[in-house]
Amino acid sequence: MDTLLAFAAALLQAGVMLAVAPLLKTAIKKMKARLQNRKGPPILQGYYDLLKLLRKEPLRSETASWIYVAGPRVYFAAAVAATTLVPVLYAAAPLEAAGGILLLVGTLALGRFALATAALDTGSPFGGMGASRDMTIAALAEPALMLGLFASALAAGSLSLGVMVRGLLHQGLSFHPSDLLAFAGLFIIVITETGRIPVDNPATHLELTMIHEAMVLEYAGPDLALVEWASALKELLYLTLLVDLFLPAGMATSIAPVALLVGLLAWAGKIFVLAIFVTVAESTNAKLRLFRVPELVSVSLGLAFLALAIRFL
Amino acid sequence: MTVNVLILCAAGMLVSALLMVGQKALFTAIRLYGAQSLLLAVVAATIAISEGRHELYVTAGLTMALKGILIPWFLMRTVDRIGIHREIEPFLNVPASLLICLGLTVIGYRVSTGFQEGSRGVSHHLIGVALSILLIGLFLMVTRRKAITQILALLTVENAVFLVAVGVTTGMPLIVELGISFDVIVAVLILGILVHRIVDRFESMDVSRLSNLKG
Repeated sequence: MDTLLAFAAALLQAGVMLAVAPLLKTAIKKMKARLQNRKGPPILQGYYDLLKLLRKEPLRSETASWIYVAGPRVYFAAAVAATTLVPVLYAAAPLEAAGGILLLVGTLALGRFALATAALDTGSPFGGMGASRDMTIAALAEPALMLGLFASALAAGSLSLGVMVRGLLHQGLSFHPSDLLAFAGLFIIVITETGRIPVDNPATHLELTMIHEAMVLEYAGPDLALVEWASALKELLYLTLLVDLFLPAGMATSIAPVALLVGLLAWAGKIFVLAIFVTVAESTNAKLRLFRVPELVSVSLGLAFLALAIRFL
Repeated sequence: MTVNVLILCAAGMLVSALLMVGQKALFTAIRLYGAQSLLLAVVAATIAISEGRHELYVTAGLTMALKGILIPWFLMRTVDRIGIHREIEPFLNVPASLLICLGLTVIGYRVSTGFQEGSRGVSHHLIGVALSILLIGLFLMVTRRKAITQILALLTVENAVFLVAVGVTTGMPLIVELGISFDVIVAVLILGILVHRIVDRFESMDVSRLSNLKG
């Protein structure tokens, strides 16, 4: 019975996150446009784009093998699976029993691996270039993500995200310098992983600069829709993770409808504030040269390491 | 609440110092220094409110006006006039500098436990952060070539000393504080002029070229 309930909650949470993800993407686009004195797309544009892509017929290269077809599907499935491991409205992850931060990072890595191999599959130079760039950055970003998460895990004494969140809720507002260091480190990682401007430009198809876009350049129709949707979901997931680890206040601790509603409003509000941060970071910075990106990521690696080290000093 | 604000501001200062290490654009480094000074002003104001030390309001105001706004503005104007915007080649590359600064931060934090006040509580974090920033500042001073980044490093060191003076000790007499602020301003002005002279002479801000002057 409990297992059934957990799966139902997981489905519900994944559904909500999937439904909100395109909205977040468009909201950031819209805010960015407003900052540049443009009008920006209508707020539902994310959904229109997905619908348009889903209705098209899938076009695949003749040389592509099953890996190419499987790539977006595994990427999407991994992103959805990862959302069930993170507490969103309620102070426990639906599938908390399955694992904590290690499983979360592993699941996300699986998705990245699937997409990178699929990009190599067609043999197009852009796919290969994008995959190699993405992996170069991931090799640095992943340890930084792990260290940042470990810093929080160390404070809570557990690798389970649910336990961390409940610990933070229980102790109330009290900070350690390590929290801010980990937050700064993880924020840079979020920007890196979601392909935002100092690292990658989500709005360009210029061959010299693109990373994520180069990887998925070959995809069209429903395949592309899956990739886009999963990327939006991943962005929402990372922001939710930041909220969970550093300011979970307001999250529901019981399943009373009022508590859940408060949780929903608090979550939406905090995600919106973080989205403003992301927008400002994207609008005020110039894109870094590719060779400078590892420097930025190594800064976040350093911050995350210090966050962990300071706990012991 | 007070404790949280103090800890977050101190940690913010440390983050800005570390970001300065990973930074090659001069404007961003100057902005980071400005942000760091503003956080220092917040620290002073918080202590002034919580402990009712009214002379600290003056310190907070001076810090914000001079170090948070005036000095960054002056440095940016200097950079603008010279037209050199990038630290091209520090003596050490970013990852290596960063690694060393991580070590320095760990040392600074560890050493802070040797002070009587520094073994626990907020003052442990304040002293730890201040010592770390001090060491990072000294490190930046010896590894950067550009005169402007060296000035920034000097000012960072000064911020660190101020953090300890404000946060941990019972404070300095107002006249000393005014003297220090005045000193900092004059130092920045003189160094600004010096930068102009170096650029005039060598058409570069690289201070290692000064060794050419030796006969």
